[in-house]
Amino acid sequence: MSQVDFTDPATIAELTAALEAAGVDGLEIERPTQGVRILLARGRSPIVDRTAEDRSAVVPASFVAVKAPMAGEFLSHDISRSAAPEDHPQEVESGDVIGFVKVGPILLPLAAPASGQIVRHVAEHGAIVGFGDPLFEIEPRS
Amino acid sequence: MIEVIETGPFNTVQDLGRPGYRKIGVTASGAMDPLGLKLGNLLVGNAPGAAAIEVQTFPFRLRFTGAVVFTVAGADCGAGLDGHPLLALCTYVADKGQVLDLGQPRTGARAYVCVAGGVDVEPVMGSRSTSLRGAFGGNDGRYLRVGDTLSLCAATDGHRARAGISVVDPAFALSDHLPVSDDGSLLIRALPAGEHDLFGNDADRFWTETWKISSKSDRTGYRLSGEPIRPTTPVEMRSHGVVPGVVQVPPGGEPIVQMSDANTAGGYPKIAGVIDADLWRLGQARIGSRLRFVRATHREALDVERAMARFLEDVRVTSAMVTRALNIMA
Repeated sequence: MSQVDFTDPATIAELTAALEAAGVDGLEIERPTQGVRILLARGRSPIVDRTAEDRSAVVPASFVAVKAPMAGEFLSHDISRSAAPEDHPQEVESGDVIGFVKVGPILLPLAAPASGQIVRHVAEHGAIVGFGDPLFEIEPRS
Repeated sequence: MIEVIETGPFNTVQDLGRPGYRKIGVTASGAMDPLGLKLGNLLVGNAPGAAAIEVQTFPFRLRFTGAVVFTVAGADCGAGLDGHPLLALCTYVADKGQVLDLGQPRTGARAYVCVAGGVDVEPVMGSRSTSLRGAFGGNDGRYLRVGDTLSLCAATDGHRARAGISVVDPAFALSDHLPVSDDGSLLIRALPAGEHDLFGNDADRFWTETWKISSKSDRTGYRLSGEPIRPTTPVEMRSHGVVPGVVQVPPGGEPIVQMSDANTAGGYPKIAGVIDADLWRLGQARIGSRLRFVRATHREALDVERAMARFLEDVRVTSAMVTRALNIMA
């Protein structure tokens, strides 16, 4: 396997240029020792990634995590059709749409995988998230 | 296939219409909200102009006789699949026997049921649109009735992979290019037309007055009600060509905006022409709602058109990219 150094700004610049040329919005590469995630957010200010601890947060076995289906902007509601809700719903039914991941003009609705209580909102509205990032933790109703 | 199990009158099969036959007196027809139709089609993986069901009287219910990917575009009418609420402009897989129902729209006036592959009726003069006035095209040249069944063009694996994606509301995506009034009236951009100046001071009033879309409005044209406007001297004109968007002023003084089923010719003086890029917004305006005309330039009209084209292209490219990514990661 090649030893590409993802901490090298030149490598990141090259990958970014390749993404732009290909019209792709982002990429994520994970290696045992290092990883890189590039999201093209044209015309936006730089995004500082969350800390490593966040990523490795332990989810109790009884909780169900809702993860990002792909990289994009996490939205707690459909900003194009509704105003921000007063507060987040806590009790959800299986299949309820509890948020979205926005990729350009496309919205990916996030359905609750189980009925129960949302015990943790991991991602903030507007945060850039990567594939597989936990977004919610749900404690299923027994 | 699709089976209609509940419908009001005037719900028809429409695509983007049959332009090019106006010279032989054939109305173009086509979706009243072409942007909604294109978005719905792109989302399910169709060509933007695939035929769909335009629903303008509610409630409307249909049964899917086989598994198919679909979306409801245009007006947000609280659609449900077997009673489960659906998101506006989001793709779903319907299983054989499932029932899609559309209720009264919460916003807008016309919804489009777009299915993977598109509705398959015999094209007439290059289009599957129903011409209600000509009684041809679409489903037997008439509006849908309970018990009608519609075939669908073959869907591919590409279509089937497309469930579970949605798109932002077009008015949100294009907000930089859409004028908004402070009193809730719809602002519709138009260019002055041939006989504009014959209306003297009344021409100015045409642009400042708030017009109401009267109940005598349909796919052919919107009759507006308000303080009448009249030419300074009576005009006698020969009939001339008319296209959707043309605003005519009959002797009564209340303007008529020609819409998708526009007459191909008319003799009333034309005061203005609604820009193409705003016709979809007019197509979603409800009877009884209010609008004002905003004087635009050709430059502005082209800019809006380009912004819409960019948005549609972005939806086409990104929806395909997202679909590919989701299916790789799944």
